[in-house]
Order: sequence, then structure tokens, then C-alpha cells
Amino acid sequence: MKPDDHRAAEAWLRERRHDIAPLARRQRLIAALLGVLVVLQAWVLARIIDQAAFAGAGLNALAPLLVAWVPLLLLRGGLAWTGDRLAWRAAQQVRSQLRRELFDHLRRSGPYPLRERPTGELGNVLVDAVEAIGPYFAHYLPARLLMTLVPPLILLAVWPADWLSGLILLLTAPLVPLFMALIGQAAQRASQRQWRQLSRMGGHFLDVLRHLPLLKAFNASRRETARIAQTAEAFRRRTMQVLRLAFLSSAVLEFLAAISIALVAVLVGFRLLDGEMAFFHGLFVLLLAPEFYLPLRRYGAQNHARMEAIAAAEQILEVLALPAAAPAATSSQVALRHGALELRDLHFTHPGGDTALAGLDLRIEPGEHLAIVGPSGAGKSTLLLLLLGFIPPESGEIRLAGAPLEAAHLAAWRRRIGWVPQRPHLFPGTLRENIALGCPDAPTETVREAAQAAGILDFIEALPEGFETPIGEGGRGLSGGQRQRIALARALLHRPDWLLLDEPTAHLDPDSERAFVAALRNLRGRVGIVHVAHRLETLHEADRIVVMQGGRVTDSGDWQTLCSRPGPFRDLLEAPA
Amino acid sequence: MIRHLWPLYRPHLGWLLGGAALGLLTLLANVGLLALSGWFLTAMAAAGLGGAAINYFTPAAIIRGLAMLRTAGRYGERVITHEATFRLIAQLRVWLYERLEPLAPAALEDQHSGELLNRLQKDIDRLDAIWLRILMPMLIATVAVTLFTLFAARTSGLLALVLLALLLTGGLLLPLWVARRSRLAGPALVARTGQLRARVIDGIEGLGELLVFGADARQAETIAHVDQALRETQSRLEGPRLLVDAVQGMLAQAAVLAALLIAIPLLRAGEIAPPELAMLVLFALAVFEAVTPLPAAFGQIAETAEAARRLFALAEREPPIHEPAQPRPLPPPGAIRFEGVSLHYAPELPPALHEIDLTLPVGSLTLVRGESGAGKSSLIHLLLRFREPSAGRITHAGIDLREHAAEDWRTRIALVSQHTELIAGTLRENLLLGRPDADTRQLDAACEQARILDFVRSLPDGYDTWIGETGMRLSGGQARRIAIARALLRDAPILLLDEPTEGLDLATEREVIAALRPLLEGRTVLLVSHRALDLGTPDQVLTLTAGRLRQTPHPGNTP
Repeated sequence: MKPDDHRAAEAWLRERRHDIAPLARRQRLIAALLGVLVVLQAWVLARIIDQAAFAGAGLNALAPLLVAWVPLLLLRGGLAWTGDRLAWRAAQQVRSQLRRELFDHLRRSGPYPLRERPTGELGNVLVDAVEAIGPYFAHYLPARLLMTLVPPLILLAVWPADWLSGLILLLTAPLVPLFMALIGQAAQRASQRQWRQLSRMGGHFLDVLRHLPLLKAFNASRRETARIAQTAEAFRRRTMQVLRLAFLSSAVLEFLAAISIALVAVLVGFRLLDGEMAFFHGLFVLLLAPEFYLPLRRYGAQNHARMEAIAAAEQILEVLALPAAAPAATSSQVALRHGALELRDLHFTHPGGDTALAGLDLRIEPGEHLAIVGPSGAGKSTLLLLLLGFIPPESGEIRLAGAPLEAAHLAAWRRRIGWVPQRPHLFPGTLRENIALGCPDAPTETVREAAQAAGILDFIEALPEGFETPIGEGGRGLSGGQRQRIALARALLHRPDWLLLDEPTAHLDPDSERAFVAALRNLRGRVGIVHVAHRLETLHEADRIVVMQGGRVTDSGDWQTLCSRPGPFRDLLEAPA
Repeated sequence: MIRHLWPLYRPHLGWLLGGAALGLLTLLANVGLLALSGWFLTAMAAAGLGGAAINYFTPAAIIRGLAMLRTAGRYGERVITHEATFRLIAQLRVWLYERLEPLAPAALEDQHSGELLNRLQKDIDRLDAIWLRILMPMLIATVAVTLFTLFAARTSGLLALVLLALLLTGGLLLPLWVARRSRLAGPALVARTGQLRARVIDGIEGLGELLVFGADARQAETIAHVDQALRETQSRLEGPRLLVDAVQGMLAQAAVLAALLIAIPLLRAGEIAPPELAMLVLFALAVFEAVTPLPAAFGQIAETAEAARRLFALAEREPPIHEPAQPRPLPPPGAIRFEGVSLHYAPELPPALHEIDLTLPVGSLTLVRGESGAGKSSLIHLLLRFREPSAGRITHAGIDLREHAAEDWRTRIALVSQHTELIAGTLRENLLLGRPDADTRQLDAACEQARILDFVRSLPDGYDTWIGETGMRLSGGQARRIAIARALLRDAPILLLDEPTEGLDLATEREVIAALRPLLEGRTVLLVSHRALDLGTPDQVLTLTAGRLRQTPHPGNTP
């Protein structure tokens, strides 16, 4: 966290005000009105006391002023309430919109840039970080607005009444933000120095609990008590170091305000004694002095909301900076011709610098069952990512039926493919909803056919609720093989020309693997299959096996041919463990 | 709940009350400052007009003194109460850990997902509100309101009553109303946030499928929909709070009006002097500071009590195993035998293990295959004595495991598991779990055997490299080899391998298997995996299906 990042994050937060411009305009108006009301109230109150104390006025004589107090207090309360509600609505709008933007950005980025980020962490950005910027709009910005509008208005009112008091206010006011900035910077430096350690210690307890089974298996769990105590104690000490600075900063603020008010009171008092000043003016100034510092103190108290929002904004910006794989809008209405898929001289390098594809050339005929094998890092998965449109090729092109497949055709192309990943995701909902992910309106008969073709129909129909059986979180209650075949049914219901399989049996036991391969066999000739395989036993069925090494094709042929001659395939088969 | 909280709070009571006293002093200084300033100004003006002498040194000095007292008091109160509260929270962590440790992992299984552990963490942190944001403001407000009422009563009983009524409205009635509203909406807020998180996580984990199958726009709509529901719940909570804030401000202004209406006739009647009028009016305006924090305080009661309730309910659970009163010493290594072992997690669920019979002879390699959910982890947990069989028994050298102290028994076992089981800490700390007293030479030897030594040596900080969430991220293969080195250091006669290569690619799997080989030498090994691993020919191969174990006829001839 460099200061520059902070500044960029805060600038970005401020930019979000454009989303709520109409609300912000009304907030400004209300803040200005509140400032005027504060002055008016002080004027009325000073007048009443002055008249009662020194002109001997009774309630009757003061009735107009006393009655005026009522609408003033109602108006001030009502305006404050309206202002708070506007700020709250602004915060709500910003959060909802931001959350939508974040997910839309993920839709454009696709899964590839997310591969190294723990899902939970990313989820926290979309949920918690977005929530954490709320107080910036609900509390911090309104406090800032009041700070910029109300004190100047008060100063304007105080000056004609007593220029000396006005001068005291004017001179001390800039000291407040100055001291705050100085102490704030020190606190920020201190917390940055400690941030790493604090987050380590804060996470320690959680980490120990998470790993209790492991610690227990090694009989280390009771030893850990002492470490928990140590860490908790160190955590407390460091937290207090940071907090003390924060408390000090608000103490300095309060001290400045208190001393200035006392100074105003004493100086006004002596001039009253000497008869150099009217009591009304003196009281008016005294009543306004605390109101002058109040917005400054409130602003200081909201600084933590700002710091937290900035930290959250940094996380959000990181997600929004993920590279987009797809253009914002692609039409699914383009008619793509059916024909052979040609990959020409494809290159791709991972962001870390690892070359994944180095001039891949491959032609796949419609209806062909093509298996792709090779050592890990050969580029097999990268090839699938390209075909799925999750990454764009660095150079080279993919052609379908002789025409280049362009980024703008992505949606249309995806309608032509089905995909079964290593670990398919099942969504909460019924089995039918999961199979019909791509076409939620598919008639029952079609869904049954897809399930049948995937070899999962018998299992589903044996369930008491059949296709309407609800699936638990992450497909709990289903075996790996069943999940995989549900994913296959999902892909087949999409009526694909091409079926892309990414090591679909990698996590299955041998029985489930056989059932899955049997389901594939029935698709023969009807659907083009690109099958990235982990283990070679599953490939007897393939029309053609392609061996990839170092990002290009190094051999190809059917099982018999490849087995019968020495080459990379035989090397793979016989590779020593 | 108070039964648990009182012993935790008692040692810190002095500091907590001292902090509250400072808080009260600050509040009094604040009110005094404003009231006295009003009195001082009016008195000075009266003296100026009347040409009378006045001792202005004392009030001027008091005004300056109160200004400083206010500042110092606030600072001292914050430091002291936070210090005491954080000490208490630190102790609470230890207290809670000591209670959770015997429960793990069996009685904490439903807490296993990260979300629930996160909640636990937040619940602990939330307990700082008990004193700082609930009890202390209430205590200060009670004392202050009493003092303020008594002070007003010196001048006018009516004024005292009106002020008290306004303060009670702003400090008790309105906060109670807010509290009731938040008690209703609070649980809904938790539920909505959970739903939103679930939908978002779904959208991220299933992003590939959503895009390929053209369902991403629908998911975005679903998320927006849940987001909207969350917004509405939040607004139901926030609405009353905003209203009460505004109403409190108006009550303070109303108190000013009341003071004017009551004090002006008193002034006319000659019962009070002009300076007292100004003092009373400013006093009435200032006293509301005492009740400003109360709506928030009442609003937090339900949430905080719920957090405390969850924590203490967790701490009071029954431990899953019972230690023998007179533990038997361990015999020399012998065969391990499962005799009709069944395991039920809950009466309404099918058994996780059903009448298992299994013998692990000394020095043998046993492979148990089965899909996830077939009961493999239950088998491991029983061997580690994390749980006790619901029926049947497990013996070692003929002695029921239940007759040994669990920790004694576990000295015989080393574990390498599929989960990335590295704790946040240094590499050395992770390795020393295996043998706390190991020296660097022994660490080197174990890492050498686990084929990870070169990697460790390539790190600038070597064994002192920090790993885990906030440290360096290790690859799957590296983490697994560290776990193997740890098991080597453990040097126990029984080795449990729980899917040791799960989630690794082919090449890494081979490296890990090569690293595992030296670990197998001369040990009784139970390998649990969904498929055969190239770890040499097992002496027996069994398949676990839905909690039932069957022998696979031809060991060694596995697909």
C-alpha cells in the first residue's frame, strides 16, 4: 500500500459521486440551509436571553421569538433527517451499482484471470468490500460537506458582531485540519508498518482453529495455547499503539476547539465588563463558537470511515483491473456456418512469462473425436481456454468452416459448444435446473434425452423427486461420477456441434470413469469432441490422438498407430513414475 | 451468559470503572464549560452595565480548566477502557481456545467451513461492545442524568421534571424503539448477507459454465435481486436510527425552549439572577450529550448478546471422546484391528461406516479406495481417535484404543493429508509440528528425503520463510512435500496417507510419490485414495462404498 495507491483509490471513490449527482445536489442545498438555520437559532436565542436578562422582557413580550423557536427546531431536525436519508440513499445506490459493475466485469474477464485467487477472497470483495464503502457516502462525505459549508457561514455571521472572535475562529480553524493531517499521516505510517503483522496476528487464531485437526494429529494442539496467548497479547499491544495515535489526534482536535471557545468566552467577557461590547453580540458569538467547531470535529471522527473505504476501494480496483477477455457486447445472433475447426499458428504466453502455446496448428473435422494428451505444461488446457473464449490468442487465428472466428462472434460461438470441466460447478436448485442451465425453457422430454445420452437418466429417475430433486451446496450428496455426468447432460442439452472436455475423469474412481467413457462412446460421429486427457487409458475410443509438447503438436494418430511406433506417445505411456 | 462473562470481566473491573469515571468527568466538564461560559458572560455584562466589581479570575480559570479537563478526560477514558477491553478480549481468545481444543475436530465439524470460523472471529471481536458501547454509555448516562436532574432541581423542580422527561424520551424510549426494530431486522440482515455471499460465490465458481452456457446474465440478475433485498433490510434497520438521531437533536432544542419558558418568569419574580438564566438555558442545551450514544447502545444489545450466546454455546459442547481414567501405557507396535466398527454422525443419517472389519498387520501397506463421501475420512478420524466408534472397537496389539490416552496413542501416528495442511507461520514451525525438538540437521535430513531441501535452501529466509495466507504461497507439490518432511520427522510406526496426491497434476504427482517412498519403509501404512497410486504393491486393497468395506480380490492388479 503506497500513498499513491491511496490517492488513486480515493480519487476513484470521489468519482463515484457522479453516479449520485442529483442526490448530491440536494445534499449541498440542505447543508447550506442547515448552516443558515444554525445562525438564525443563535440569533433568536441570544435575542431572547438579552431581552429577558437586561430589558426585563417577560414571556408575553418575547412571545413572537419564543414561538419562532418551534418552527426553527422542527425545520433543523427535519433538514438534518432529510440530509441523512439522502446520504444513506446515495450510499445504497453506489453499493448496488458497484456490485453490479464488479460482477459484469467478471463476466467480461472470464475465469482465466481469477484462477489464482481464492474464491472466498474474491467473494469478500464483491460482498464485504462493497459494503465497506457505504459509510464513505453515508457519513464521511456528508461530514465533509458540512465542514466546508457551515463554518464559513458562521464566520460570516460572527465577523460583523465581533471581528476579534471572528479572527480567533479564522486563525484556529486551519489548525484543525493541519494537525489532523499531521497526526493522521503519522497514524497511517504507523498502521502501515504494522499492517502486515496485525493482519498476521489477527488471522492467527482463525488459522489455528482451521488447522486444529492437523495440530491435534501431531499432538501440538495444547502446546498451541501458549502461542495463542502470546499472539493475542502482542496483537492487543500493537492495536493499542495504533489506537493511541488515533485517540491523540482527536484529543488534539478537541483541545483546539475547547481552548478557542474558552478564549472567545474570556475575551468577550472582559470586553463586556469594560462595556466595549453589547451583551447580545457577545452571547450570539458564544453560542456560535461551538457550532463552528462541531462540523470540524465530526469530520475528524469520520476519518476512519474514509480509511476503511479507501482500503476497500483498493481491493475493488484490483478486481476491476483484471484484464477483460471478451468485448463488452457480443451478439449471439450471428449465423455461424458449420464446418471444420482450424487452429492456425496459435501463440499464447501466461502473464508469468510461461509460454503455453508456441505455434499450434490443428484441424478438427466435424464429428471427430479428438483426444489431446501431453505432459503437464504442454498447453492442453490453454488450448481449451482459447476455444472457450476465456483468453484471446496472442497471435494466430481460429477458423470455423473457413471463416475466422472473431471476438464479436463469441456469444454465437458459445451457443455451438458444450463444455465439461475437471470439476463442474453445480448450482443450488434442482437437477433439472442444473441440466437446463443453457436453455432454462427446455421441455422435459429434451432434458430427459440429454440425461439419457449422458448415462445419468436411470439414476435421476430412481430418485423419489426425479428431476426436481434439489441439489445441495456444491452438489453435496452426489458422487464425483454423477456430477460429471450431470455436467455432460448439461453440455449435451445445449445441442453442441463441439464438445470440449477438460480432463473430465481426473477425479473419478475407475468405475465412474468407465461409465463416463461409455456415455462418450454413444455420441460418436454426431458431435465433434475435443478431449483433453490426463490418463491415457480413456483414449481407446478416440478417432485421433494428438500429442502436445511445449505448446505445439508433436505427434498424432490413432491408438494403434501411436502405440506401434516409438515416439512421444510411447514415452508418455511408459513414463517412469 | 453472565455466568461466563463475569469471571472474565471481574479482574478488569477496576480499570473499566475507572475509565467510566473519566468518561463521566469529561461529560460533566463539557456541560459545565458551556453553562459556566453563559453565566460568566452574562455576569460580566451585568457588572459592566452596573459598574459593580466582580471576581472574574475564578470563573475564567475554571473555564480554562474545564476545557483542558474535557480533553484530557476524553483521551484518558478512551485509552483506559480500550486497553482493559482488549486485555479481556485477548484472555477470551485463550479461554475459548482451551475449550474448543478438546472438541476438535468432531464436535466442531459443522463449524468447519470458513464462513462459520469467520463468524466466530467476528463474534469474539464483537464482545468488545459489551462494555465500550453498551454498558459504559448506559452507566455514564444514568449517573449524569441523575446529577443533571438534581442540579436543575436546585433552581426549579418543574424544570428538573421537564428535563428528566425529555432525557428519558431521548435516552430510553427512543433507543428502546430502535432496539426493538433492530432485533427484528438484525437476523434478517445476517440471512440476506449470507444469501448474497452464496450467490456471488456461485457466480465466481461457476463463472466458466455461466459464460459458456449463456446463463451469466441471469446470474447477474439473481445477484442484483438478492442485493436489492439486502438493501431493503438494511434500510429497515437504518431508517429508525436516522429518525432517532434527528429527534434527539430536536429534543435538545425543545429543552432550551422549556428552560426559557420556566426560567424567564423566575427571573421576573426575582428568584434567579440574569446570569443564572443564561446558565440554565445553555445547560439544558448541553445535557443531551449524555444520551446521544444510547440509541446505538440499545441497538447493539441484541446483536452482541447473540454473538456471546453463540460463542458460549460452542464452548459448552460435549467432547467427542472420553479419556480413560487410568490410561494404559502403550504396548510395543502390533497389528491394528477394526472389529465390527460402525460410525453414526447423527441418528437420522445413514451410518458413515457400517460394521467394518479390517486388520492392518505391522509393516503392511493397505489401500482403501472409495469416492468422496464413501467414509474414508471417517476411517482416518477413528484411527486418530478424533471420534469413537458408535459400535464395535478398534484394537492395537489386542488392546482397545479407548484404554489409552488419546495423545499417547497419537505419538504412534504420522499423517499426510490431501488438504493443504500448512499453518500460517514459518516453514520451521510447520516442520517442528512433527518433532518439536528437532535441530536443523534433522530438518535438513527430512527435507532431503522429501526432496524439498533444494527449494528451502533457495529461499532467502530458508526455514524462517513465512508461509500461509499472509506469507509466501507454496505450490501444491511443495506444500505436499513439506507435509511429507514433517511426517518423516515424526518418525512414527503408523503412517496415514489421506489422498496424498489429490489435486496435483501428473508430473507433480510423480514427484510427490517419489518423495513418499522413503516414508513407507518399515511402517504400517494406511493409504486412502480414490484410485491406486504407484506406491508399490499393496498387501491388501479394499473398496469403501457408502460406509461398507469389501475386499478387492486381486491385490496388485488395480486399474
